[in-house]
Amino acid sequence: MSITAPEPKANMGQPIPRYDAAAKVTGKAQYAADVPLVNPAYACLVTSSIAKGRIDGFDMTAAKQVRGVIDIVTHENAEQLKEAKLFSNGGYAGTTIQPLKSADVAHTGQIVAVVVAETFEAAQQAAYAMKVNYTAAMPSATFDSAGTTSAPAKGQLAQFKEDPKVGDFAKAFNDAEIKVSAAYETPPQHHNPMELFATSCVWLGDSLTIYEPSQYVYGLKNGVAEQLGIDADKVRVINAYVGGAFGSKGSMTPRTAIIASIARRLGRPVKLVATRAQGFTIATFRAETRHEIQIGARRDGHLTALRHESWEVSSRPDPYAVGGTKTTTRLYACPNIESRVSIVRADRNTPGFMRSPPEVPYMFALESAMDELAVALNMDPVELRRVNDTAKEPISGKPYTSRSLMACYDQGARAFEWEKRSPQPKSMTEGDWLIGYGCATSCYPTQMAPAAARVRLQRDGRVRVEIAGQEIGNGAYTVIGQAAAEKLGVPVEKVSVFIGDSDLPPAPVAGGSNSTASTCSTVIKVCEQVRQKLFEALTSNESLTNEAKGTVGMGQTPSTPSASNDRPLDLERAFDALGVSVVEEYGEWKPEGAPMDSFQAMYKGQVRMVGGSEMKDKIAYAFGAEFVEVRVNKWTHEIRVPRLVGAFAAGHIMNPRTARSQLMGGLIWGMSSALHEATELDERYARYVNDNLADYLVPVNADVSDVDVILVAEQDDHINPAGVKGIGELGNVGTNAAVCNAIFHATGQRLRKLPVRLEKLEI
Amino acid sequence: MTNQKDFPAGPGFNRRTFIGAAAGTAVAPIVAKAAGASGGPAATSDPSLPVDVSLDINSATRSLRIDARTTLLDALREHTGLTGSKKGCDHGQCGACTVLINGRRVLSCLTLAVVAQGQRIVTIEGLAEDGELHPMQQAFVDQDAFQCGYCTPGQIMSGIACVREGHAGSDDAIREYMSGNICRCAAYPNIVAAVRQAARAMSDEQKG
Repeated sequence: MSITAPEPKANMGQPIPRYDAAAKVTGKAQYAADVPLVNPAYACLVTSSIAKGRIDGFDMTAAKQVRGVIDIVTHENAEQLKEAKLFSNGGYAGTTIQPLKSADVAHTGQIVAVVVAETFEAAQQAAYAMKVNYTAAMPSATFDSAGTTSAPAKGQLAQFKEDPKVGDFAKAFNDAEIKVSAAYETPPQHHNPMELFATSCVWLGDSLTIYEPSQYVYGLKNGVAEQLGIDADKVRVINAYVGGAFGSKGSMTPRTAIIASIARRLGRPVKLVATRAQGFTIATFRAETRHEIQIGARRDGHLTALRHESWEVSSRPDPYAVGGTKTTTRLYACPNIESRVSIVRADRNTPGFMRSPPEVPYMFALESAMDELAVALNMDPVELRRVNDTAKEPISGKPYTSRSLMACYDQGARAFEWEKRSPQPKSMTEGDWLIGYGCATSCYPTQMAPAAARVRLQRDGRVRVEIAGQEIGNGAYTVIGQAAAEKLGVPVEKVSVFIGDSDLPPAPVAGGSNSTASTCSTVIKVCEQVRQKLFEALTSNESLTNEAKGTVGMGQTPSTPSASNDRPLDLERAFDALGVSVVEEYGEWKPEGAPMDSFQAMYKGQVRMVGGSEMKDKIAYAFGAEFVEVRVNKWTHEIRVPRLVGAFAAGHIMNPRTARSQLMGGLIWGMSSALHEATELDERYARYVNDNLADYLVPVNADVSDVDVILVAEQDDHINPAGVKGIGELGNVGTNAAVCNAIFHATGQRLRKLPVRLEKLEI
Repeated sequence: MTNQKDFPAGPGFNRRTFIGAAAGTAVAPIVAKAAGASGGPAATSDPSLPVDVSLDINSATRSLRIDARTTLLDALREHTGLTGSKKGCDHGQCGACTVLINGRRVLSCLTLAVVAQGQRIVTIEGLAEDGELHPMQQAFVDQDAFQCGYCTPGQIMSGIACVREGHAGSDDAIREYMSGNICRCAAYPNIVAAVRQAARAMSDEQKG
């Protein structure tokens, strides 16, 4: 075993290499824009240069003269597509701002025209040659801009059900022995997956095939069908591989139905690959947030009062908010808690989910404030978390299904050698470098959603699994293959996995870290149906207990004492008894507590997610503890992060190799959230300034040194049949706070606004 | 930043002559030269007419009739079916389109196809021989050096060049010389491990 493929601990699967590894290292993995088309026309977008106002008209003279131009589509001649409802409002879209419907402009970078040509080069030239005349109005860019409005999230956003509250915060805070009050701020960020927002649309008669990177092929299929006014069965979305997504490809963007409509109008395939800059405005982003935290505590560190108030920016028409108070009010034991989330409307594109949507900004605030409290108490920050650890969430007293937070802290602290930290700020140096150690809690809700799968077992032991999950780098192919192999007792090499196609049985959005839990639980259930069928055929006259049927592997030695007297299933005999050569089963699975309409919704491309803090009589989260070493140069103020250590417990780990990689990437994302990433806004024009990969800073290899991921063994039998908690978003929660806490420890300066850049240090 | 003296430009691939030729009247002289060189009928003063281009890709000659402004990346992806090289920015900022030209790593999105004529182009599709992975490809599998896989072809091509340039001698050197290739999944520590593993295997191969 290598570091890359860690030895599995208790309740962990085998660290096998990725199912799709060979395809990805040979260039054979086919992403959406790689799919060959017959005689495609190439589309280029023209996007608005103003944030607010109206289009007065177009001067297309030069554009039309470009050789090879086929069509120029604007609101004046576009097909009038049907409204796209928000995913949070029974629809599929990430925004209700629909381009090419009227002369109105709602944000910069809104699509105002689509140029289609015989070649990509001609389309690009013509798009540049398009002249758009506007009447511009003064936009409101962000917090504090004139013309913005602010209102509580509760009441305008169906998914935001409550501002969690318990006890009497005001009195308890007033009476508290130790008090901390502080305000924090996080910037807008863009996902910037490496794969651009591409869409190819191909009509065959009245059937449409869409090649587009999507985290939710069923949602996109149904959403586009609705906008085009056609039967969803006539639409197929295919994406065998998605080149990163991080939330940006989870809900439908306006471009897809527009390209589908143009392809129908032209009677030939149309291919769009939006530019990197356009990706900043034709999809969603993580909005900027503000937080005020007040904590009251006893001198022994026990929290007595907690208040978390936040503001988030959204677009004019859409009330989007991540509302992370549902997590921050439930993390630590505290009898008196109050919270409020408000949405501030500005002239921007509608924001959406980005990796750990609520927890990245909200836990930055809470975990920074906890560190400030530790300083005020003169207490070790790890011990402060231990004092306030709880088995029940404090708002309604529901028990955590499992919670290994302190085990994570203990194993992480040991690996990091936290005991070598001298508590006083600015007390650790080496040459010109000030050294700081910081830590923070990570957590992410465990979520699941209904799914369906088809599993085929052949007489020769080969298995085919079909489920419309999505491979976004999460290892979906690999863990689904492992789940089937383990349940059917066949070598994983014999399992073929088919995902990323809306003609397969439906699976939920690959978002909210629910993918592995949902798809693997479903595949396990359908594999059980296959086993049941074989056992019934073979053992109708034999005495095999039901328990044994559930535990005897096919062709393998029985694994439990109760089954040890029974023979393993003889596959050949079972197939003989059935008189067939293939057994195929289709099955649906839904998590406990899923609403009645879950399956109907599933086929319509709507997710009924269950889990986290919204379960009836329990609460389910994965936890982690993150430790960071920073070094700050005392002359140049350069900030380096030589070490990141994260210890995580997330129930059954399907594959320690892919899990480690995903959590490692998460830790680096978290560091990036603290030190690199921010979309800079020109507030005069409500326009993104650094809309490219040279100016929007993401970590490169030279920014990253030692990253150590510790997988903490944990078993949880109260969440789902796979026993899996999601990990895709766990890794980058709290890291930003841990980095800032380490910078405080190194320099004595508390930084409450992200990202931290060297010019903000005043040492 | 790459050091010019470390990387002598291959024949016909001199940055200075290219800029000289491209200055002033933009692409027109290159177009005329390209069309003339291949003897195609498309030689004309209208820059928007297609030109004949002949490319040596993965040891095979590919004859294309394409818009003179076509980048090598788009020529590969849209005109030869070689979609392994990826478009991540089209601005030379991300490295996903990296290919080898005469053994040197080059951003194919910043290279016009017409100027890549007469050069030896190797893409990700040209690495494996008889189904056997190149040591760099095998190392990426072994070290789980990717997640979504989109930047991977560029990382692998860059990794091979990094080793051949002699920049894989230490982890710090690998980090520095692999920093032109962005991996948004942030598989960086695994990429370093993969380049380190492949550097050993490539050196053994040379010795053997």
